[in-house]
Amino acid sequence: MSQRQLAMVMDLNKCIGCQTCTVSCKTQWTNRNGREYMYWNNVETYPGEGYPKKWQELGGGFDEAGDLKAGVVPSLQGEYGVPWDYNHDELASGAQLKPHVDPKWGPNWDEDEGAGDFPNDNYFFYIPRICNHCSNPGCLSACPRDAIFKRDQDGVVLVDLDRCQGYRYCIAGCPYKKIYFNPRISKSEKCILCFPRIEKGLPPACAQQCVGRIRFVGFLDDEEGQVYKLVKKFKVALPLRPDYGTESNVYYVPPTEAPPKFDANGKIIEGSERIPPEVLEKLFGKEVHEAAKILRAEMKKRKETGESELMDLLIAYKHEEMFRLDNNYYAEYAKSKGMPVIKPVDERYLSGKYTSKMKFFTKGANA
Amino acid sequence: MKTLLLLSLLGLTSLMAQSLNALHVKEDLTKVSLTSPLWQKAKAQSVEVFPQTIIEMNDAELMRANEANLAKVLHVKTLSDGKSVAFLLQWKDATKSLQTLDSTTAYGDGFAVQFSTVNDTLPYIGMGSENRAVIVHLQKATGTIYEPNNGGDVYHQVNISNQNTFAKELTSYKNEVAKQGSGDYQRSFISEGFRSMTQIRDNAEPAVMEMKYDKGVWSALLVRPLKSEHLSLQGSFPVAFALWDGEKKNRDGSKLLSAWVGVSLDANVKALTLLDEVKGDASNGETLMMENCSACHQYKAVKNAPNYMAPNLSNIGGYANASYLKESIVEPSAVVVPGYNLNAHKNFLWYTSDEKGVRTSTMPPFAHLDEKSVNDLVAFMKTLKVEVEK
Repeated sequence: MSQRQLAMVMDLNKCIGCQTCTVSCKTQWTNRNGREYMYWNNVETYPGEGYPKKWQELGGGFDEAGDLKAGVVPSLQGEYGVPWDYNHDELASGAQLKPHVDPKWGPNWDEDEGAGDFPNDNYFFYIPRICNHCSNPGCLSACPRDAIFKRDQDGVVLVDLDRCQGYRYCIAGCPYKKIYFNPRISKSEKCILCFPRIEKGLPPACAQQCVGRIRFVGFLDDEEGQVYKLVKKFKVALPLRPDYGTESNVYYVPPTEAPPKFDANGKIIEGSERIPPEVLEKLFGKEVHEAAKILRAEMKKRKETGESELMDLLIAYKHEEMFRLDNNYYAEYAKSKGMPVIKPVDERYLSGKYTSKMKFFTKGANA
Repeated sequence: MKTLLLLSLLGLTSLMAQSLNALHVKEDLTKVSLTSPLWQKAKAQSVEVFPQTIIEMNDAELMRANEANLAKVLHVKTLSDGKSVAFLLQWKDATKSLQTLDSTTAYGDGFAVQFSTVNDTLPYIGMGSENRAVIVHLQKATGTIYEPNNGGDVYHQVNISNQNTFAKELTSYKNEVAKQGSGDYQRSFISEGFRSMTQIRDNAEPAVMEMKYDKGVWSALLVRPLKSEHLSLQGSFPVAFALWDGEKKNRDGSKLLSAWVGVSLDANVKALTLLDEVKGDASNGETLMMENCSACHQYKAVKNAPNYMAPNLSNIGGYANASYLKESIVEPSAVVVPGYNLNAHKNFLWYTSDEKGVRTSTMPPFAHLDEKSVNDLVAFMKTLKVEVEK
């Protein structure tokens, strides 16, 4: 456990699947140097197979006894899909436009397919996914080299590229398959929660760019923060697949608002739920039912009285208020640990220089 | 399996070389290569390497691929010129596997040679132990690999699709990128046990390594100086070998490894007593093992203990030396490596550590056993190993 934990809340009722987060992450971090196939942030359609394909069936995470479960390392040609390019250079000489590989899968391959019969009971919603920066990370537990660590100051889970030897057990161990192998450098890489931005008081790129204002970022122990209020006070934000046992720190306001179903004659079935509650229960655990109740009650309250703190929070009138970050905290933390103030390009990530000073590695702390 | 066990119980264990005899040569070994005629003079000696089964790795496909693993025979030739030592290793491998740039699931074949930095005692076979550091030289068969930060040259990390260069410029860009890759995945490490291995980057432990695959056989070369910052090899010293089979998704702890084997640079030097085997009554040892060990340790078909409770001893006879086994029975805390169960299997801690970081094994010492019992136990443990691949 880290001293403090930074967390993100995503309101799935507001996500429109525009992929602006995906693009902001890609251009910031993963469009180069062996990361081309990686999506540290992706938005997938649910029901759907996701990215990597069928990630929920690829193992990892912990069983009920708390033992790490075996998992599978997805393959580039199979579950990820090779990122393809086109033969633009040859078009001038009369060639037909074609991709350089036969595309078989990729992020967003099954976008908007969903499930059910249109228009009676079909449904889908979007789930944006980043690394969950778990309190009990499967990747960290699987690493035989202590190359993965959880930062003390904010619980961000990082790979020390200096120690990483590219064994890929972390990928098998992560049930969300949100850590990737970079074959070019033979190291594992993952979402870093834009920590160089965070330390400067800026939200992660995906949250900053989110046009739907679905993403809240803040410390879980900051009682004034929206993240605290949504997760701890109102209890409407829930972790994805809590049954994996990793205690993830990205929380979702479940997609409770959908139109009712239609009967065979095209008439509205009053009180029907288009998104089956059991689907939500699988993704977010049993707590999802209570969360849905709270959300609906607050919505009703707002309609009747014009007042609801929760609705005000979720509407997110001001984008900057969705982020409660504190660059002073990081500056003070660095000072107290004798670490240099963060440079725009954080060299610690490259060299792993300070890894041994993390609490996790301190001798005796593991007993 | 039963017959093998029986034969071993009767004391008919295979007659493998206890010591690798280095052939002294006048030629400068720093210039030796895999194809040097020098090797024709040296005699090949056999070393058995056994699949690591003390712990289980968490990759489902890897577990499946290695389920029926047998031991392999490694043929070793050793040369020394008084300043350097050179090993030529040869082993059968039906497939040549490379780790490549276009795959997340390709693993390279590889080999490693491990040296001890201490002379009076044996480090733990699995990458050393506290105050008994080992130096490990590793080579993996890979395609091109790039350095993570590319020496700070961000420009050449950029995908060519994102380049504003065309034609000749693009070609020279591609050439520059290709130049920055390295096809030689060779590393030297220092380690005080599983999890603590750290790469040596300042060339304090120089080595020349080479791997070549031909007609189902890998040949591998290691040449290194006898004296370096951490090592001073002379007379007779222990080494250990490890092999990885990329086809079976081998990497890290999923490998074949030998016990510590003696190398003698000089025929007149006394063999290392550290590597002496024990004489004991293995069938009495089997009874003792059932009585004393099986409540926590699984081995072969004996699975009374819960999973992950303690190291699995199914192949312990293949890669553990008698002196280590004795020490671990009588004084389990003598060698406690940074743990495997730490995070993955929290229910069974294999050790505790105090605020100073001193690790104490959760296994109680069996110092109350008399010497004969310990020897019998060790004799039985030495029979715990899989058969050698034909």
